Order: sequence, then structure tokens, then C-alpha cells
Amino acid sequence: MPDVIKKVVFLLSAAIGLALLVNGLSPHGIPLMGQWDTRQGVVTADAAAAALWMDFEIPDPAAAKQILDAGDALFVDVRSREMYLEGHIPGAVSLPLEEFDDRVEAFAREVSPERPIVTYCSGRLCQDSHTVAMLLMERGYENVVVFIDGYPGWTDNGYPVARQ
Amino acid sequence: MDTLSPGNSANWHANGWLDLGLRWLLGGLFVMASAHKIMDPAAFAKIVYGYDLFPLAAINLIAIIVPFIELTAGLALLSGVYPRAAAVMLCGLLLTFIMVIGINALRGHVFDCGCFATSEAALWQNHPGLMLGRNAALLLIGWRVAVFRGRRRLLVCAG
Repeated sequence: MPDVIKKVVFLLSAAIGLALLVNGLSPHGIPLMGQWDTRQGVVTADAAAAALWMDFEIPDPAAAKQILDAGDALFVDVRSREMYLEGHIPGAVSLPLEEFDDRVEAFAREVSPERPIVTYCSGRLCQDSHTVAMLLMERGYENVVVFIDGYPGWTDNGYPVARQ
Repeated sequence: MDTLSPGNSANWHANGWLDLGLRWLLGGLFVMASAHKIMDPAAFAKIVYGYDLFPLAAINLIAIIVPFIELTAGLALLSGVYPRAAAVMLCGLLLTFIMVIGINALRGHVFDCGCFATSEAALWQNHPGLMLGRNAALLLIGWRVAVFRGRRRLLVCAG
């Protein structure tokens, strides 16, 4: 074997060993396998966390429509302000993830912690609705679920939208 | 050709320092590029997924290992340990990046998850020409370091 190939193999082995070690020890480490199948749910590097979330997810647009029609829950659109203005689920309020810290105080003054909340974003490729759901739970909101098909799932089913 | 003439020896000298500059440039860039991927492997995994070219079962492993190949090769170039082997590794990575970006540019695939967390990466993907140009320039530098046959400066382990 040429000398340079041996050294490449040595450096590669060191890199792989270091990668697995640091990933195993780091609080930011991820499992060796992720959940990347959109049929199973929202895609994420952390399959175990995805399984934990399943109890807090609305699995299909029809179920979300039923919840909206029942009238109790507040739908929270966590996409950008521009996307919200282009179209959103009727009655939904805008609380973009990127503006969460600036706007959550005003949100908390308007919405009581007991109010059922449904967060959504851009569907199963997007985890922002989970992030906002978690942030709201941390602030004491007791009844938060995520509509994982989000706005694209809603419109694909032909359900009504609001624009403003 | 008389390689022992004073002119040629001065040339080798200059090339050795140029080689060192290129090693540090390439090594430094890759160490910096690896840092945020190592800090947030979940976000990097989503970018890997977004290219839509890799087996789903391999995405997390790619996201875990590739940044450490960048880091290890970058540190090797900076420190002068096996610089040729490190440059060969980075050339391999850069060729892979160029193929991945090129294939997606040709088939018009742009990953847009409509989400906040990966919007920066999506922005880059919207400019495949810039990414290809940058990677081609880095590949040239890597190739120059890999094929350098002169006397390297600040070398700890040759190879």
C-alpha cells in the first residue's frame, strides 16, 4: 500500500474514533440512527425524542380540522411573519420562532396557561412547531400539541385558509 | 535541469513558505467550518438529509463523522502532521461536495423545509454556483498541497 494511503487511513481512523467518542460524550450528541421517514412523522436526527413527542402530536389534517371546528383550541403559527400573512389556518395567531423571545410576553398576557394550544409550521420537514411547543410548555402552558402536517398539510386537504 | 543552482534553491524556498501558507489557509478554513457542525450535529444532519442523495440510515453517521474528518485533516495541515495525507483527504471531501452540489443543481433540487433553523443553509443552497466556485478554489489549494514535492516548512511528521 502506498505510504500516503496508509497515512490517510490513519487520519481517517483517528477522525472516526474521535467523532464517535465526542458524539457519545457531548450533550449535543445524536443517536447513530435518526428518524428521516416523513411517513413516520416529523424528520429529526433524534429518533428517541421523536418517539417521546408522539403523544403530543396531531397525526393528520382531519384531526386538526376537528379540533379547530370544536373551537376551544388556539392555533399558533410559528412560521415567519411573511408566511403567516400569505396564508394561515383561520383563527391562528402568529408567533414566529425567530421572534419568540420578543413576542412571548405579549402572547402570555393574552392567552391563559389553561388554554389548549396547537402549534404548527411548514410540515414534516420542520421542527420549529415542536420547538415553540416546548418553549410554551416551559412557560407553564399545560395543554400544547403539535399539528405535524402544518400549513402545507392543511392546504393539501383543501381546508379553508385566512389571509391578512 | 540543474536543480542545485542557486536560482532553483531560492525557488524551492519560496515554494516551501507558499506551501505553508496554503496549508494554514486550507487547514484553518476547515477547522472553522467543522466547529458549528460539531456543536450542532442535529442541524447538520438535517442539511445532509436535505440534499436527498444519501441512504436515510446513513444520515446521522455522515453528520457525526464528516465534521471530524474536516477537523482532523485541518489540524493536521495546521500542525504539519502528515500534510500530504490530510490534503488528499480534504480533496476527496471537496470532490464529494462538488458532486453533491452539482447533481442537485443539475436536477434543480433545492431543499426548503420552510423553517427557521436551517434557513441559512438553504440560502447557500440557492447559490450553487457560489458554492461550486468556492469548493473548486479550495480543491485547487488542496491539490497544490497534496502534490507539493519541495521542502515543507514547519513540518512535524512528513507524509
